Amino acid sequence: MNKPIEIAIEDLDLGTPATLSESTVTVHIDGNAVDVPAGTSIMRAASLAGTQIPKLCATDSLDAFGSCRLCLVEVEGRKGTPASCTTPCEDGMSVKTQTTRLDKLRKGVMELYISDHPLDCLTCSANGDCELQDMAGVVGLRSVRYEEGSNHLAASTDNSNPYFSFDASKCIVCSRCVRACSEVQGTFALTIAARGFESKVSPSEENAFLDSECVSCGACVQACPTATLQEKQVINLGVPTRKVKTTCAYCGVGCSFVAELRGDELVRMVPDKHGGANSGHSCVKGRFAWGYATHSDRITRPLVRETTDSEWREVDWPEAIAFAADRFKAIQQQHGIDALGGITSSRCTNEEVYVVQKMVRASLRTNNVDTCARVCHSPTGYGLKQTFGTSAGTQDFASVQKADVIMVIGANPTDAHPVFGSRMKRRLREGAKLIVIDPRSIDLVQSPHIKATEHLQLQPGTNVAVVNALAHVIATEGWIDEAFVQERCDVASFNAWRRFITLSENSPESLAEVSGVPAEAIRSAAATYAKAGNGAIYYGLGVTEHSQGSTMVMAMANLAMATGNIGRDGVGVNPLRGQNNVQGACDMGSFPHEFSGYRHVSDDTVREQFTALWGVDLREEPGMRIPNMLDAAVSGQFRGIYIQGEDIAQSDPNSQHVADALNAMDCVIVQDLFLNETSKFAHVFLPGTSFLEKDGTFTNAERRINRVRPVVPPASGMAEWQVTCALSEAMGYAMDYASASEIMDEIAALTPTFAGVSFDLLDELGSIQWPCNEQAPEGTPIMHAQRFVRGEGQFITTPYVPTDERSTRKFPLLLTTGRILSQYNVGAQTRRTDNTVWHAEDILEIHEADAELRGVSDGDWIEVASRAGSTRMRAHISSDIPAGVVYTTFHHPVSGTNVITTDNSDWATNCPEYKVTAVEIRPSSAIAVGM
Amino acid sequence: MTLDYSQQHLIKMANQIAGNMPSRENVPAQIVQHMAQFWTPPMRADLKKIAENAPDSFSDDVLAALALQD
Repeated sequence: MNKPIEIAIEDLDLGTPATLSESTVTVHIDGNAVDVPAGTSIMRAASLAGTQIPKLCATDSLDAFGSCRLCLVEVEGRKGTPASCTTPCEDGMSVKTQTTRLDKLRKGVMELYISDHPLDCLTCSANGDCELQDMAGVVGLRSVRYEEGSNHLAASTDNSNPYFSFDASKCIVCSRCVRACSEVQGTFALTIAARGFESKVSPSEENAFLDSECVSCGACVQACPTATLQEKQVINLGVPTRKVKTTCAYCGVGCSFVAELRGDELVRMVPDKHGGANSGHSCVKGRFAWGYATHSDRITRPLVRETTDSEWREVDWPEAIAFAADRFKAIQQQHGIDALGGITSSRCTNEEVYVVQKMVRASLRTNNVDTCARVCHSPTGYGLKQTFGTSAGTQDFASVQKADVIMVIGANPTDAHPVFGSRMKRRLREGAKLIVIDPRSIDLVQSPHIKATEHLQLQPGTNVAVVNALAHVIATEGWIDEAFVQERCDVASFNAWRRFITLSENSPESLAEVSGVPAEAIRSAAATYAKAGNGAIYYGLGVTEHSQGSTMVMAMANLAMATGNIGRDGVGVNPLRGQNNVQGACDMGSFPHEFSGYRHVSDDTVREQFTALWGVDLREEPGMRIPNMLDAAVSGQFRGIYIQGEDIAQSDPNSQHVADALNAMDCVIVQDLFLNETSKFAHVFLPGTSFLEKDGTFTNAERRINRVRPVVPPASGMAEWQVTCALSEAMGYAMDYASASEIMDEIAALTPTFAGVSFDLLDELGSIQWPCNEQAPEGTPIMHAQRFVRGEGQFITTPYVPTDERSTRKFPLLLTTGRILSQYNVGAQTRRTDNTVWHAEDILEIHEADAELRGVSDGDWIEVASRAGSTRMRAHISSDIPAGVVYTTFHHPVSGTNVITTDNSDWATNCPEYKVTAVEIRPSSAIAVGM
Repeated sequence: MTLDYSQQHLIKMANQIAGNMPSRENVPAQIVQHMAQFWTPPMRADLKKIAENAPDSFSDDVLAALALQD
């Protein structure tokens, strides 16, 4: 294990944010000259020059506010004592930060603050981590002259939030929390109520935090300079004593965090202000929902059993590995080598994923390896490779700050990718226009200070029709960027596409009925995007999880190329990946037809490179995808599987078919943190490691490779990659690595886009966006800048083909599924945290008219039935969805939403069509099974 | 011929590929190429066997594609 990087010193808070000006000015701070970008505050300039001006309401993650009056300075030639946080530097300005007059003023200010603050520093939970305490020391306050009078010392504490408390008696009303909620998070849940002495922080008009609009991102807690808003963990355990930088293991944003500990006990997770993906922000999951890592349900010793109806037997690692290897060898001997396969996990590190696919290909000698991206972003892989040349989002997250028009298609960033959602909202508040294409009225459509220019509320399953109609308008109105197309794209393919897209069958008028979107709305949205200047597309699983998922990805790529919105800041086509390492798992060669770096197994040159390094002949034909493996299992041809960190019995569609397939196998090996729905069918359970125990890398949705550093030792005693290597060796093929770093070195040696990547370089640069090679030694934030990866951009015609899954008299409603902010995928992690206070069960959202027709009231138990199966859950009457459409989540095994989803899938990749299932609803008096 | 679940699934996948090929020119050849890239040899062989016994289950483009395979 590599030694964790310990952060020796606190990151300096420079008081105000950096300015982006390219011109510089020179100021003199206490006689020292310093050059800073024009517009820089005196406070920041002083800090850069090594002088920390006392402050309370200022912090460099928030715009200057100028309320605390502690940062006063003297400026030569000016009257008074301006606040250094709100006063910009001017060329030649001479500033004094320490004078007798300033000392007296600051001491007076501090005296007023302290006169209404509990004097309990020694027993305060923030003792040693309190800016108010620090500032009292800095200004030399020794006594308070004011006699006891009216104060807030008896103000109550709000403990409603499970993760942090709000002790109003310690509040200095600096507004940092309010500004963090507004500027950083963009929720505007907090305000300062009343005026003067009565002023107080108020969540959603004086609600308790838990009952307010607060999304529990924790930005307010991080911004608070006192113990007013503080993590309950810190209150209970004390302030941390050591820190380790690592990466969040939830969504595809991949936020960088500083894990703060006391010994080996994690106290809190603080988002890293230098994190390339998150710039110091986080969401409720990343910051707070990590308690699952030490949950009592964790399995930390290997388990085996002869049959799935017998009891688990706890064994040591050697016995578990031998048991698994014997089972696999027996299957190979009896049924052949293609009777085995494996599934890699997007929640595991690149290194862990890489060794699993290597074990399958080199040790099991089959290409039957697939990844859970099969059920989310496999159409992204197909579509972007066909059009641009590789499976990758085109931009870095920061690019959205330059977008003039943002088109969000089939994604709900504020819930599923919340930190990027906040970044996007900031740009929208600055004036960028927003087009939302979604059957649901997601949060972005209308929220504080944000209103979508267009919400194309289409019928589920008609994405391609709508994007074709947008392209039709752009092509027929003469809004094509002809110069870009001629210079950068394959012109023959463009001409064929133009002939196709201008057909009248693709007009908004022709497609209005099928899509449910009025033609004028399409025409308006097309004009907005085409004339944007910088038009950026962001999309999620509402694009990919359809029978035409791959077609839709290509349709969006066409749209971007036709309008010249590729290859620079502020534009692009960007998949918002669901899990933390979807991008990485795909990059690492997890698909059955590709080696790492998206190179087909039939490519002799590539295969020979792998053969030479791995020392074994490799198969040149693609292996089975997950649904093919499951089908083959039901047919009796596929008999054993290694499942890394994936609960396919809950997450994959048509649960009954998945169960039948797993039940038919002779050996199911599950490597995970907890026993889950899939492990009910398993014969071997190999304990996995939480992200806090992993050593390796994750690659986020912007291709950013981030280090995952071990914060605590593995609870099971072994790293996951070591377990995989042990099984491989027991099967007869040794994979010897001394460290995760060595695995990355092998990845780099075999994968051109990772050629320059190493743990050393990651430690040096913080993170790297691939491609990282000789041409781009520090990575590539924006792709296709000079030319597409495939050379010229390829236009592909995208005829709209309706899905087979249609509403009928028996199943008249269309169900679409998704996730919410507080829970994550199958909920294995978040259900084992206090996040359940926000979402304790899956709920079906239904339109008022549909509910009334069926005699369903808000909160009623209902049965949801499709042709695949039925389940029960409670109903919620919602105006966020149109009549004829219902929506739910899949976070809870008790409701088992995927019992009702079908085996329909994307035509090119078999990505399941989770987003369209014809269902019927009826009231149910029974409660859900297991409740 | 009675078709089991996986056989029905193969038929559906093949017909879906045929119906969704972006270019409508020479669809059978595109199907062959797609299956060579993404289907295992046993899946392709199974499909051919099914088609011999249940040709009515397939679109003309799929049948033409199967005829193109060796």
